[in-house]
Amino acid sequence: MIIETLIKIAIVIGGLMTAAAYFVLLERRMAAWVQDRVGPNRVGAPLSQLNKGWKDLRLFGLGQPAADGVKFILKEEYTPAHVDKRLFVLAPISILVAALATFAVIPFGSVLPAGLFWDEPIEMVVHPGAGVGMLVVFALSSIAVYGVILGGWASNNKYSFLGTLRSSAQLIAYELPLGLGILGVILATGSLDLNEIIAEQAKSGWWFAFTQPLGFFVFFVAAFAEAARLPFDLPECEQELIGGYHTEYSGIKLLLFLVAEFLHMIAASFLIVMLFFGGWHFWFITGHDSNPGWIQAILRVAVLMTKIFLVILFFMLVRWSWPRFRFDQLMALAWKVMLPLGLINFVAVAVIEQVKVAVIDPVKAISGSSPGMELICAIAAWVVCIVAWVVISIAGPLVADNRPRLDMDAFDVDPQLEEAR
Amino acid sequence: MNVTALLLAQTALTLDSPMTWGIGLGAAGLALRLAPQAAWQKLGIIAGLIGIALIGVALPPLGDVLPQVLFWLMATLAVFASGAAVTSRSAVYAAIWFAVSLLGVAGLFLLQGAQFLGVATVVVYAGAIVVTFLFVLMLAQPEGHSPYDRISWAGFAIPIATIGVALLIGTLVSSLPEFGSVGTPNEILHKTHVARLGGELYAKHLVSVEVVGTILLVALVGAIAIVIQGNPRRRTTSEEGASDR
Repeated sequence: MIIETLIKIAIVIGGLMTAAAYFVLLERRMAAWVQDRVGPNRVGAPLSQLNKGWKDLRLFGLGQPAADGVKFILKEEYTPAHVDKRLFVLAPISILVAALATFAVIPFGSVLPAGLFWDEPIEMVVHPGAGVGMLVVFALSSIAVYGVILGGWASNNKYSFLGTLRSSAQLIAYELPLGLGILGVILATGSLDLNEIIAEQAKSGWWFAFTQPLGFFVFFVAAFAEAARLPFDLPECEQELIGGYHTEYSGIKLLLFLVAEFLHMIAASFLIVMLFFGGWHFWFITGHDSNPGWIQAILRVAVLMTKIFLVILFFMLVRWSWPRFRFDQLMALAWKVMLPLGLINFVAVAVIEQVKVAVIDPVKAISGSSPGMELICAIAAWVVCIVAWVVISIAGPLVADNRPRLDMDAFDVDPQLEEAR
Repeated sequence: MNVTALLLAQTALTLDSPMTWGIGLGAAGLALRLAPQAAWQKLGIIAGLIGIALIGVALPPLGDVLPQVLFWLMATLAVFASGAAVTSRSAVYAAIWFAVSLLGVAGLFLLQGAQFLGVATVVVYAGAIVVTFLFVLMLAQPEGHSPYDRISWAGFAIPIATIGVALLIGTLVSSLPEFGSVGTPNEILHKTHVARLGGELYAKHLVSVEVVGTILLVALVGAIAIVIQGNPRRRTTSEEGASDR
């Protein structure tokens, strides 16, 4: 049992660290592709170092992550004299620990059937049967805020602290819509366990992205904000704050911060796929039985990883497609758009679920409702989504608008103008 | 074995039990830690650690090695961090130690199988409340009060507070057996205990939950009302306009 858990932990941490390294390369290649450049394609196997006669292999730049890692480790790790040393060291450690610990309750596959060296089926999650899985993810993501706050404050640097202020306000603000997006899913499944949430979607064949579109949009946007990806990367926007909360960091400590950021993005992708895109489920490829065979089990892992990869690609594409929000726009989006939308979604899901139970007799509702009923419910959810979206965009049209407001005096908008007058 | 049951089995404090001496030493350590002299502060830390160790010795063993080690780790972390939170000069450090002690408490909850309680402690206290504290403290005086502010009251407040805490802990420990156990472990350790907790909250205690929610909402609206106080920017424009005329 303990050995099994240790092996799982090794797989998860090893896989995540490797993935984070290669996603950096992927991100740089994506950036190059979007901006019509070539990108890092040189570093491969330096064979000429071994033997003068051999030629270096380029391997499409696959050696770049290793070179980057070695560079980070070998570079001077400088601790400025004006920092609070204990907290300065604690900050990157706490953020990475929290980011990695999140994956203890996030499954990386379905179930491995008994065989080879084990007698019972193995659930592919480090801590199986965590009844409060989603809450653990939430708790650890709120611990990650400490890393950002302590890092910025301990640096004793105004740019770092500005980044910290922005970051903590942003993370706390977007935790609400994030939670509201998840609430709908939890209401529909009646469980906080990610495995059961996936199983529920696999059984009905209706992913929650189709039956709860509003919740999906709210969660998706909030996940971007929580991972501090563009267009929400105000905590460390290079053009204004040098590096944000990790301005003063260098060497391995900076690496910990950067890896933790990538892990946040990967965790967000896992959650998006598992909560709203059916996890390992895909129609006609993976079934919904709880004891799959070997082929099924491997297929499920492949489907899950493919979906997560696509979501991460989307994350990276969005990075180069959208300009960054201004801070007031960011806050307005959280409190005036995302929060009401999340509340509407929550009420709509509650009503639809109750109607489902009421219309169909209770016995049938437990064993699975009819396809027609599901279709009607999904259509109703989409209608709610579109209506709410239109209403919110009419009610608060200035949220993401950079044009000057015609209904206000210029002196109203900018008090500094008034001083000049 | 259940940790609570063993704690409950502890009888009243007597002079020959290590528990009494542990609590006494811990209290003395806290008081010394707050003294202005550096040597006394170090002595305070040592006394506090010995106190914690004595209390740990007084608690009955748990049988299994792993839960025992985890319990000692978490309990020591929680107690030590609480002491550090109380005695830290810097308000920021105090808040961080408080968060650490909450993590220790959450670990103790998890050890008992109360998953929801443990995780909710982290989400609500460490994740939301302490972060907000930290936020405010960092913008305020990071070094705490200046020395003369500290000293003027210390001679009176520290002994009184220490005696009060020692009395409180002593009373709690000596009266623990009377509390008895309320729920059976099966109820708490049930697989869907979160759903059960929700059902209990929203069926039996619906009115209280709603009232608490309303009070919080009112407090929120009040805070916003204090912050806004009309529209100051417009007011200044109109005032200036009036003075111009």
